[in-house]
Amino acid sequence: MEELEIVEPQELWSPSENLSPRVKRLRDEYWSWNQRDYFRNEVMPFTTGTSWDLVWSPVNWSDVPEIYPFIDPFFDSLIATARKVELPPDFWKHSLIKRRALFFQEVCRRYLPVKILEGELIVGGQFNTALSRCLNKREAKKWKRAFKRWRKHAEEINGVGMANTGAIPGHLIPDYPSVLRKGLEGIASELHQLKNRVKDEAHRDFLDSLIICCVAAKQLALRYAEEAERLAEEEKDRLRAEELMTIARICRKVPWEPADTFHEALQSLWFTHMLVMVAESYPGPGLSPGRIDQYLFSYYQKDLDEGRLTRDQAKELLECYWIKHNYAYDFQGRIGNNQGINSSFGQLITLGGIGPDGEDASNDLTWLILEVIEEMNLLEPKPNIRLHRKTPDRLLRRVAEMIAKAQGSPFLLNFDENSIEGLKWQGLPEERLWDYAPVGCLENTLQGDDRSGTVDLNINLAKSVEMVFTRGRDMETGKRIGPRTKDPRKFRTYEEFQEAFEAQLKALVDRSIAVSNESDALRARFEPTPYLSAIVGGCAESGRDITQGGARHNYITAEGVALATAADSLAAVKKLVFEEGKIKMGELVDALYSNFEGYEPLRQTLVNKAPKYGNDDDYADEIARYISRAWTLMVTDRVSPATGRKYRGGYLSWNYWIAYAPLTSATPDGRRRGDPLSNGVGPVDGADHKGPTAVALSVGKLDLKTAPNGDSHTISFSPSLLRDGEHIEKLMAFLRGYGEKGGTALQINVINPATLKAAQSDPDKYRNLLVRVTGYNAYFVMLGKAMQDEIIARESHRL
Amino acid sequence: MRSLPENPIVSEEALLTGMVFNIQRYSTEDGPGIRTTIFLKGCPMSCPWCHNPEGMSPRPELVWYDVRCIAAQDCLKVCPQNALTLTPQGMLIDRDKCDACGLCEEACPAAALEVIGKRRTVDEVVEEALRDKVFYEKSNGGVTLSGGEPGLWFEFAMELMRRLGEEGVHVALDTCGGISSEKFRHLVEKADLILFDLKVMDEEKHAQYTGIELEKVLDNARWLGSTGKPVWVRTPIIPGYTDDEDNIRKIANFIKVNMPNLERYDLLAFNNTCVGKYERLNRIFAMADQPLLSRKEMERLKEVAIAEGLEPVHWSGATRLEKEA
Repeated sequence: MEELEIVEPQELWSPSENLSPRVKRLRDEYWSWNQRDYFRNEVMPFTTGTSWDLVWSPVNWSDVPEIYPFIDPFFDSLIATARKVELPPDFWKHSLIKRRALFFQEVCRRYLPVKILEGELIVGGQFNTALSRCLNKREAKKWKRAFKRWRKHAEEINGVGMANTGAIPGHLIPDYPSVLRKGLEGIASELHQLKNRVKDEAHRDFLDSLIICCVAAKQLALRYAEEAERLAEEEKDRLRAEELMTIARICRKVPWEPADTFHEALQSLWFTHMLVMVAESYPGPGLSPGRIDQYLFSYYQKDLDEGRLTRDQAKELLECYWIKHNYAYDFQGRIGNNQGINSSFGQLITLGGIGPDGEDASNDLTWLILEVIEEMNLLEPKPNIRLHRKTPDRLLRRVAEMIAKAQGSPFLLNFDENSIEGLKWQGLPEERLWDYAPVGCLENTLQGDDRSGTVDLNINLAKSVEMVFTRGRDMETGKRIGPRTKDPRKFRTYEEFQEAFEAQLKALVDRSIAVSNESDALRARFEPTPYLSAIVGGCAESGRDITQGGARHNYITAEGVALATAADSLAAVKKLVFEEGKIKMGELVDALYSNFEGYEPLRQTLVNKAPKYGNDDDYADEIARYISRAWTLMVTDRVSPATGRKYRGGYLSWNYWIAYAPLTSATPDGRRRGDPLSNGVGPVDGADHKGPTAVALSVGKLDLKTAPNGDSHTISFSPSLLRDGEHIEKLMAFLRGYGEKGGTALQINVINPATLKAAQSDPDKYRNLLVRVTGYNAYFVMLGKAMQDEIIARESHRL
Repeated sequence: MRSLPENPIVSEEALLTGMVFNIQRYSTEDGPGIRTTIFLKGCPMSCPWCHNPEGMSPRPELVWYDVRCIAAQDCLKVCPQNALTLTPQGMLIDRDKCDACGLCEEACPAAALEVIGKRRTVDEVVEEALRDKVFYEKSNGGVTLSGGEPGLWFEFAMELMRRLGEEGVHVALDTCGGISSEKFRHLVEKADLILFDLKVMDEEKHAQYTGIELEKVLDNARWLGSTGKPVWVRTPIIPGYTDDEDNIRKIANFIKVNMPNLERYDLLAFNNTCVGKYERLNRIFAMADQPLLSRKEMERLKEVAIAEGLEPVHWSGATRLEKEA
C-alpha cells in the first residue's frame, strides 16, 4: 500500500502521445469506469449456500481500521449477493483445505466470468472475489467465537490509537519464475512426486489440494482460450482475428505448460498473479511480481534474437500487461475509483539492482520497462528501482530525469547495500540476499518463498509518550492501557523519564503482538489458501499451508508509526525540562492535558527551542536512534505461537500518521491532538529545515538494520532544483550519497503548485520546503506573499 | 552611499571568528556539485539590487517575523536597551538603540525575533561544513564562501579555507572583487575556484551603483586572469542597470582579453524576492516594483556573450512568464 498523498494523479500523470492506438484505447477504457457497463472487475461473492457461510474475513482487512464500523454490513451484503456454487459430490467430507481447493476450482472452472476486451493482447479480467471460506457448521461456530474475541481486542487497541493488526493477504512475491519455467504442470508433477514419498495422510491431502488448484488455473485459462476462439470466429478484422487465435493458442498453453516466448511469459505471469487475488479474495495490495526485468529477460532476448518480436512489439505487450494490474482498483469503483485513488495498491515490480556476482544486473528490458512506465503513467504496477554502488551513471541519470519530470515520485528507490544489511541482520540466508525485492510500498522480502506479513501490525510509537504522562492510561477515555509508571512530576532525571517511556513502549508492543497473534492464529486455523501455497516455496515440503507458516521464510512485520514525533518529544523533555529547566514538568503535564489551550507560549517553546530529528543534529538523532532500536529489538524474534512466524521491525506509516493523529494526545514536541504524526522515518512535517542532505544523514544514523523490512522516507524537491542537466547530476550525486549514508528506501516528490499553495496557507508545516528562486535557494515560506504567488504562477506555468 | 570599513574591528580573542549569517546545505547555485555555502556578513559594495540585504552590514542585525509573533511580549521585558515597541502595526525596532545582543531572540518562544549574523569560530563552521562531505565527494562539490563579501573577514576566511583544504574539501570563493589586491591575492591562492562578479563596465556608473571604483575590481580581475585558477564570472542582469547589450559585450570582451582561465560565464537574472528581507531590516528596496526580465531578453544577452567568444555561457534566474514576455 502506498502512503496517502493528496495529489490528483491524473493531473500529475499524463500518458505519452506515442502510445499505440490499441494501448491508448485500453488505457482510456480502464479509466472510464462509469461507462463500461459491459465490464467491471467488481467484487463477486461466491457461497457454498450454507446458512453459516462466510465469504469475507475482516481479519484480512484490519490494517484498514476505517472499515471497522462497516464489518457487519459488509458481511451481510456480501453474503446476501453471493452466488451459490454447485458443490462437487462429497464436498463436506473433505478436509477444510481440500474444500477450499475444490471450491476455488469450481469457481475457476464454471463461475468466474470470462471476458476479453477489444484489442487486448494479455487477457484475464475478472479477479475480485469474495470466496466462501468453506467452513462447516462446527468450524463456522468456532470461527465466530474466535473472531468475536479478536474483534474486541482489535477494536480496543485501535480505538485508543495504540495499534492495528490483522492477518493481511497479498504483500509477498510468489514464485512466478518457477511457473514460467516449469508451468503449473511441472509444479503439479513435483507435488505428485512429493506425495509419493510422503506417508502422513494430512500432508498427502494437503498436496492433493495444491494439485487441484494448479489444475483449476489451467481450467480457467482454457475458458479464455475458448472465448478467444469464439471471438475470432465473429471477428471481421482479419488482423484482430489472428491476434485472437494467438491468444487462444497461448491460453491453451500457459500457465499450465512452460512459457517459451515473451508473450507467453507475460500471459502466464498475469494469469498466475491474478489467480492469487482470486484465491485470497484480496484485490492486490502488496501482491508483487518482483524483479521482472530479470526473470522475463531471457524470454525477451530469445524472441528478439530469433526475430519473433521487435522491441516495439515487446513494449506493446508490456503495456497491455500494465493495464491489467490497474483493474484491481475496480473493486472500489462505486466509491469513486477515478477520483478516489489516493493510495496505490503497490503491486510492486522491481528493476535493476545487483546480480549474484554483486555486479549491476540491469539489462535492455530494464530500459524498455522504464519507457513503459514513462509512457503509461499509471499507478500500477508500482515501480521500484534498486540502486547500488555500481548502478551505471547512465541508468541513474535516466531515473533522475524521470523523477524530475514526473512531479509526483514515479519510483520507489531502494538502496541495495542498506536493505541487504538489514535482511542479513534479520537472519535470512546471505547467499540469497542479492535477489531480494520489496513488496507493497517498500517492504523487503525474498522472492518466491518468503511470507513476511508486512503491514500485519502497525504500532503508534507516539502513544507510549502519551502513556508516560497519563501513567498508563488513554488520556481521552481514561482507560488503562499500560502499566502505572511513576508520576512524571516526580521524575528527578531524564533517565527516569526514559525508563517510564520504555515500560510503556514494552506494554504497547506486548499488547499489540498479543492481538496480532490472535489474527495470525485465526487465519491459520480457518482460512487456508492452497492455490497460493502451491506457488510459494516451502509449503509443499512442510505440509503446511502458507497461512499456517508453511513458507520457507515466515515473518510478521511490525511497522513503526510516528518515530520522529516520539523522538522530538523525548528530545524536548530532555533538553527543556531536565537540562535547561526552561519548562517545569508539572506545567508540561498540565499543558498536554489541556491540549496546549492557554499554553501557546509553552507550546511555541517546545516547537522552537528544542532539537528536532531530521536536521543532522546529533542530539535529536541520537534519541531517535535509541527509540528505533528500543522498539525494534523488543519485537525482533518474538514468535506467533500458532504459526511459528517471527516478528521483525520496519517503518511504513501508511495512513496511520493521519488516522492516529486524533487518537494521540498532545505531545511534548508541541504537536496538538489531531495534528499529523510523523511519517515513516521522516521528520515531523516542517521540523527539518536544513535540506535534503541533513535529513538523509539523520535517517542514516538510526541504525536501520534493526528494522529490516525497509524504511519509508519521502522528501520533496522543488522542480526548479531539478531544472536542467546540471541539477539532475546533483540529484544523482545526492542519491549516491544517500546509498552510502542514508536509509533503505526513498521517494522523491517534485513539488507541485497545489502543494506550494498549501505551504502558503499553512507555512508552519512547510518550513523545510526549498525553492530555487534565482541565484540561490530559499525557504518558500520565508518569502513574501507576492513572491510566493509569483513562484506558484511560475511552477504552474511549468506544467 | 554609506562607506564601510574594509575590515571591521574585531577583538583579539575573537580574531578567528566570522560573522556568519547563514550556512546553507544542499546549495546548488554557488558552484559545481552539491555545496555548503557559508554566508559572511558585510560587503564593501552597496548595489541597489542586492538580493541579500542582510549581507550588507558586517554587524549583526535584529529582524522580526510578523507571521510567527504570538505577542508573548517576553522580548519587551528582556531588552536592556528598550529598543523594542510592539504596536498594532507590528514590532518597531529602534535600530539606534538595538545592539543585537540576542536576549530577545532567546526569550521569544515563537522564534519571531532573530539576530541575523552570529559570530562563529572556524572550528564550528568546519564541523558543520564537513557533515555533507560524502555528498561533496559524490558530486564534485564542496564549500563556497559567500556573503556579503567573505574578504571582509579575511583572517577567518583564510583559516577556514586552509582547514577545509586540509580536509580535502573543494573550496569556492564567491567575491565581488572590491577588496584590496593584497587580501584578494591571498584569498584567491587558498581557493580552488573563484566565483567573480563583474557588474558594470562604465566607471562612473560602477562607482555610482556599487560605491567602489571599477578599476579596483578590474585590477583584481586582471590579476586573477593571470593565475590560471579556475574562474566563473557572474553578472547580475538588472533592468536599467546592467542589462544593456553594450555592457554585456564589454564585460565579455574584458573576460576574453584578460581571463583565459574562465570556466564559465553566468548571467543571473534580476529577482525581487528580497522585498520581505528589506522590510524586516527597515530598509527600502529601490527596485521592489521592477518587473522581471523575459526569457527572450536573457537569451539575447547570452548570445551577445557567446558572440564575444565566451563559452560556456549560462543564464538562470526568475523570468517573467512567457505569455507576458
